[in-house]
Amino acid sequence: MKFWKIFRFEFAYLARSVATWLYLAVLLLFTIIMDTVTTPGDGVYVNNTFHIIATVVIGGFIWLVMGAAVAGEAAARDVQARMHPLTYATPITKLNYLGGRFLAAFVVNALLVLALPTGVLLSFYRSGFDQPGLGPFMPSAYLSVYFLIALPNVFIATAIQFSFAALGRHVMTSYFASFLLAIFAQIIAITVAKLFGNWDLVILLDPVGVAGIVGNELQTWTATDKNTRLITLEGMFLWNRVMWMSVAIASLFLTYLRFNFSSPATNSPGRFKWQRKVQPTISFENAITRARAISVPQVNPAFGFATYFHQTLKIALTSFRKIAGNPAGLTVVASIALISAFFGDRILTQFDIPLLPTTQQVLVYLTAPITNITSPWVVIPLLIMYFAGQLYWSERDAGLTDVADAAPVPEWVLLTGKFLGMSFVIIVWMAFMMIGGLLMQLSLGSVTIDIRLYLQVLFGLQLTDYLLFALLALVTHVVVNQKYISYLVMLVVFIFIAFPSTFQVEHNMLIFGADPGWSYTDMRGFGTTLEPWLWFKVYWIAWALLLAVTARLLWARGREHNLKYRLPLAMRRFTGATVWIAITAIGLLISVGSFILYNTNVLNEYQTGSDILELKAEYERRYGRHKNTTQPQLTATKLHVEIFPEEEQVEIRGTYTLVNKASILVDSIHVGSISGIALDEVNFNRPATGVVIDKELSYYIYTLAKPLHPGDSLQLNFVIHHQQRGFLHRKTNPLVVDNGTHFTNYDLLPAIGYQRHKEVKDPVSRKQYNLPARPSIPSLYDREARKKSLITDQNTFEAIVSTAIDEIAVAPGGLHRTWTAGDRRYFHYKTDAPIGSEYAFLSGDYAVRESKWENVVIKIYYHPDHAKNIDRMLWSVTASLEYFTGQFGPYPYGHITLVERPGAGGGASADASMINYGGEYSLMNPDDGLNGFDFPYYILAHEMAHQWWGLARLTPANVEGAGVLIESLAVYSGMLVLEKNYGEGHLQQYVNYLHSSYEIPRSLATASLLHANESFLYYRKGGLVMYTLSKYIGKEKVNGALRRLLQKRASGDVPLPTTIDLYQELQHVTPDTLNYLLHDLFKTNTYWRLKTKQFLASQTNTGNWEVTIKILAQKVVVDSTGNEAEVPINDWLEVGIYEEGNRPLYLQMHRIRSGEQTITLTVPRKPERAGIDPNNLMIDLRREDNVMQLDGE
Amino acid sequence: MENEHVSLSIRNVSKTYANGVQALDNINLTIPYGMYGLLGPNGAGKSTLMRTLATLQEPDNGSIYLGTIDVLKQKDEVRQTLGYLPQEFGLYPKAKAEDLLDYFAVLKGITSRASRRAAVEALLKQTNLWDKRRQKLGGFSGGMKQRFGVAIALLGNPKLMIVDEPTAGLDPAERVRFLNLLSELGENSVVILSTHIVDDVSELCTRMAIINKGRILQEAEPLKAMADLQGKIWRRVVEKSALRGLEREHKIISTKLLGGRTVVHIYSEENPGNSFEPVAADLEDVYFTTMEGHIGNHKPPIA
Repeated sequence: MKFWKIFRFEFAYLARSVATWLYLAVLLLFTIIMDTVTTPGDGVYVNNTFHIIATVVIGGFIWLVMGAAVAGEAAARDVQARMHPLTYATPITKLNYLGGRFLAAFVVNALLVLALPTGVLLSFYRSGFDQPGLGPFMPSAYLSVYFLIALPNVFIATAIQFSFAALGRHVMTSYFASFLLAIFAQIIAITVAKLFGNWDLVILLDPVGVAGIVGNELQTWTATDKNTRLITLEGMFLWNRVMWMSVAIASLFLTYLRFNFSSPATNSPGRFKWQRKVQPTISFENAITRARAISVPQVNPAFGFATYFHQTLKIALTSFRKIAGNPAGLTVVASIALISAFFGDRILTQFDIPLLPTTQQVLVYLTAPITNITSPWVVIPLLIMYFAGQLYWSERDAGLTDVADAAPVPEWVLLTGKFLGMSFVIIVWMAFMMIGGLLMQLSLGSVTIDIRLYLQVLFGLQLTDYLLFALLALVTHVVVNQKYISYLVMLVVFIFIAFPSTFQVEHNMLIFGADPGWSYTDMRGFGTTLEPWLWFKVYWIAWALLLAVTARLLWARGREHNLKYRLPLAMRRFTGATVWIAITAIGLLISVGSFILYNTNVLNEYQTGSDILELKAEYERRYGRHKNTTQPQLTATKLHVEIFPEEEQVEIRGTYTLVNKASILVDSIHVGSISGIALDEVNFNRPATGVVIDKELSYYIYTLAKPLHPGDSLQLNFVIHHQQRGFLHRKTNPLVVDNGTHFTNYDLLPAIGYQRHKEVKDPVSRKQYNLPARPSIPSLYDREARKKSLITDQNTFEAIVSTAIDEIAVAPGGLHRTWTAGDRRYFHYKTDAPIGSEYAFLSGDYAVRESKWENVVIKIYYHPDHAKNIDRMLWSVTASLEYFTGQFGPYPYGHITLVERPGAGGGASADASMINYGGEYSLMNPDDGLNGFDFPYYILAHEMAHQWWGLARLTPANVEGAGVLIESLAVYSGMLVLEKNYGEGHLQQYVNYLHSSYEIPRSLATASLLHANESFLYYRKGGLVMYTLSKYIGKEKVNGALRRLLQKRASGDVPLPTTIDLYQELQHVTPDTLNYLLHDLFKTNTYWRLKTKQFLASQTNTGNWEVTIKILAQKVVVDSTGNEAEVPINDWLEVGIYEEGNRPLYLQMHRIRSGEQTITLTVPRKPERAGIDPNNLMIDLRREDNVMQLDGE
Repeated sequence: MENEHVSLSIRNVSKTYANGVQALDNINLTIPYGMYGLLGPNGAGKSTLMRTLATLQEPDNGSIYLGTIDVLKQKDEVRQTLGYLPQEFGLYPKAKAEDLLDYFAVLKGITSRASRRAAVEALLKQTNLWDKRRQKLGGFSGGMKQRFGVAIALLGNPKLMIVDEPTAGLDPAERVRFLNLLSELGENSVVILSTHIVDDVSELCTRMAIINKGRILQEAEPLKAMADLQGKIWRRVVEKSALRGLEREHKIISTKLLGGRTVVHIYSEENPGNSFEPVAADLEDVYFTTMEGHIGNHKPPIA
């Protein structure tokens, strides 16, 4: 009876609150926004279950803030309202009181969250049931997402929020619970998963589902899955529900035990002390006799700037102490910094290889953008949001507001003081981060600690961003002046700042605090990125000043919080300095704003994502008909390149030699320039007239007076001029800068013919722009496409490159001559064989290392501080040249050039005869030991292999599977060099690395390798498959097949090679008994499920050991829609038995059939581990159960 | 400065809350320096008026001047010379008494460290909190909290002191001390004391106003008001059951229990007979007579 009365009263109280209805409206609005801003993928219904689930889960994340208010109110309102002496003194039981309150909060929250599936439903069908694109109506989708995800989430979150608030006796404590739940979702789960390499753990640990369901489970869904699949209560998700429900119930139970009906104040331990001390002073006579008048000391308060300064400081310090005294105030950031220092060797890695802990690398980790919600530092904006509110509301929460508001403190002093207090806290956080970074460097044995850079980046760049955000948070509370609603508004603002493109806002002048980004690399330093950053920050500081003025004007004081009173008051407050600050801010805003706009939209072209798509679509619409127009081939490129790093300027005079290699006449030349780069002084060495000069779409057509006969050639001359003028609104990679020039022909130079890569690729966008549907890569069976190479031309290259006197310019080819003239340095490069159609220029203050292998000159250009891996690189290059020329045929050039590119990145990329690698590559610090993994060594071997695969030697047709011929073969070749020089241990590490990518959640439905269309297949699966094949039939045979492929299909002549040719060559060397394997690996998308179920061993009388292994084998083919079909196995698979120390006692191929089977073997010594496919040759998603330990583990 | 006595003038101040309650109805008062009592029952509008004077609330119309300072517009100037003790307030439970008082001292413009320390020490001693200066405020009793509030209000020698029901939580000795203090302050500043306890006013105030339902019913000097009432208040001790009969015949202004019997005070300009005996009118009689509407110099504008 009492229980229901308490429940009904509480429920009615919450339901009558305006905030509750506002929450409901926000959640409904959220679903509608999500529906408006997202577009379903190709072949996905508008009302797909993927969208329903994702919206409900993400909406549930936002609800955490609202739920905290509801649960916190229910749990601690009595204490907050100081009516607990009344409530607690009534004869109610804890169970009735807490139970009724909790149930009411839970029901209200459950109803709130019901708005999510309801809103999704409404947003789908708001314009009728028969719109195009709608799939069948599935009530189960809405019910299951509510009852399996949303409702349990609400129960868990409400229980924890309620417990926190009830035991903490403070409404706001429940926000802390939400904070923990959100952090748990994002950071702990992902961190644990990363550390253990098991992504299922995210599903298990994430209570909210943003990481576990949306970030993990849903990512594995195919288009078909997205339409109708539902989340089911099984596996890790079931355990997640069980585990978190238990946590929730346990926390409720704990609350029931620990809660007691006593006044919080009288409960404090300080009371006893006070009582003892106070006793004597209360004696009656004493008091009367001492009842004399109080003489108040005469002090003369002064009011003026000095006083205001003093007051500001006092408020700031008090505010700082308030936050510092909060359990979460300083500890959260400090512990993340400490933990980071502890796990430094796992954080500072590239491809899991430790990096040298340079200050720059540590700072990359420490300085996540405010909006990066996957970085652990996302806690900082969240904490700022939380504490900004706490500070603003501190007087009112304490009931001190009347006294404080009547004090002679101007509003701007209050605002500035609190903001300063928050700033002190952020500065301390920054100091913690700096200490964490220093510890990280020291513990990893860093040699270079650049304190200056720390200070610049953390206390200059990063602090500015956080302070701007803090001010925004504070001002939001001032203006909204409703605690819970302010938090909600701020969360929405944060989401907007983090995902502006979702709301179709792209220009950084429209996203609070945004800037084009800065970057710091060892070579470039900050380069040209600081200046635009600074202009944007000044612009935002002007806004911040205006915000501060707004806050000062609208600062609620006393009892009148209505805008009706605050607005006229604001008018009265708008005097004196405030006016001047406002005018200054507006002046700054307008002047700096226009300056930025001049840079981003006048000096440079401002293009939104849809502008760019429209241009691409128009390109195709207008010129797509020239797709198959016969064009001459580019056979020789001669360039004069003048690089002016200081001026960020480059001028190129070029001559292309074009040869008609077709059998028909060519009467017009189509030239495509780069968008935004002027193509000037175009002329031919024979009469020609420009008939199409389309600068907007960068398409030019010249008609030849006399057509070009087959075999004839002509020359095309042009001039390119590029200078970076001003800056852009977004992050750009500058082409020409001081000690850091890097550009390729795709950045600046014109190309011949219609460029298919300029078309809109994404199928949904193509539909949107009314372009015909087309596969992202032409089909393997497209005969027309098979005539076109991915590498369009094979041209010889010659260039004279000049640069500043203190830099070295690098281009493909052997260096024929170098000289200086005036204050310029000149370099003459020339290749001795065609180099395909992609090349790069770099210029910087490089150190050079030169070496030679047979007749090949090896040159490495590197940043002088990055010398650590140079020897390793040389070894890898020579080993690769040695091995590949032996296996696949001669290296075509007399030189190989390696250059460090100025930007970040740990990878390398290969052009013909030239390889460039990123800054992190130079810092990789691999373990060279027997069981280590020299990944950088492998990377260069891989890039060297491209000199045979994909650039100038084997140039596949641009159809499905082309990537296999380029990347899979390079991966495989790189593995061979790694194995040859480092042995089996390093190779196995690399195989593990390839397998590990299968552990990251992804859809099983992929194309087969023959039709491969994504880099996962090219690099990972392709590499594994080639490795497996080499283990089954021997690498000599595989290499022989590759050699023959290369001999038959060299250098760009039609017919161009495809995966079919590779398959045929491999088939030639594969025995018939293994034909099935080739089929499974290349033609279908096959997965093996191999498991050792039992492993027994007993010693026989002869001293041998009899081993019994029970094996389960399955083989599954997954088609492109995700359908799985089991196929019978009759495969040769390795069975292995190992003794202590991992030495094999037995390793043989066995014929294995489907299902369970037992193998009995005898080995000479005591076995330790045994199982099927111990070397993980097959594609098996659960590798860890292949082998079993003897003790049954 | 010393002899520059300011006065507070309140003109036509009205205030109606959003829920329709009219808290102040055309208030007109002139409050000179010295102690001024604002007497009225709970809910009369006292606190609204006090908060309005303390710059914390906006009236719907009317004007308030403290000397030449426009209280409604020049809030900063008012606050620089204001001491305010609200009827109800909280304190940061985790802060220590000395620290919070020091904090308020800065807020009140006492920036010199030495004079701040002196002021804090003096006030804590005078309010008998010196022994508890390092204690957390969360453990303070109601009376201690009240005294601490007084200490805050006294910081910075206010010219305008507004104390809203200050004696409610004080024990008799504390009350005496507190009232003494106020009277001393009243020597050269405006001190407005709102209370529903008649004795507070009679002991202290040279002038007073009686307020009810947002209206000023009577503005007077207590001594004079009592003198005016002399000979018009009559007393009789009756059984409780006789009360109803008396009510019909006489203007009863108050009834009080005394030893199980009822003491009745009535207002009558001439001798009512009926065993009533004359009594010397005290301020309580003034208050009740005013509340009953028998006397009063403030009439509603439209009768």
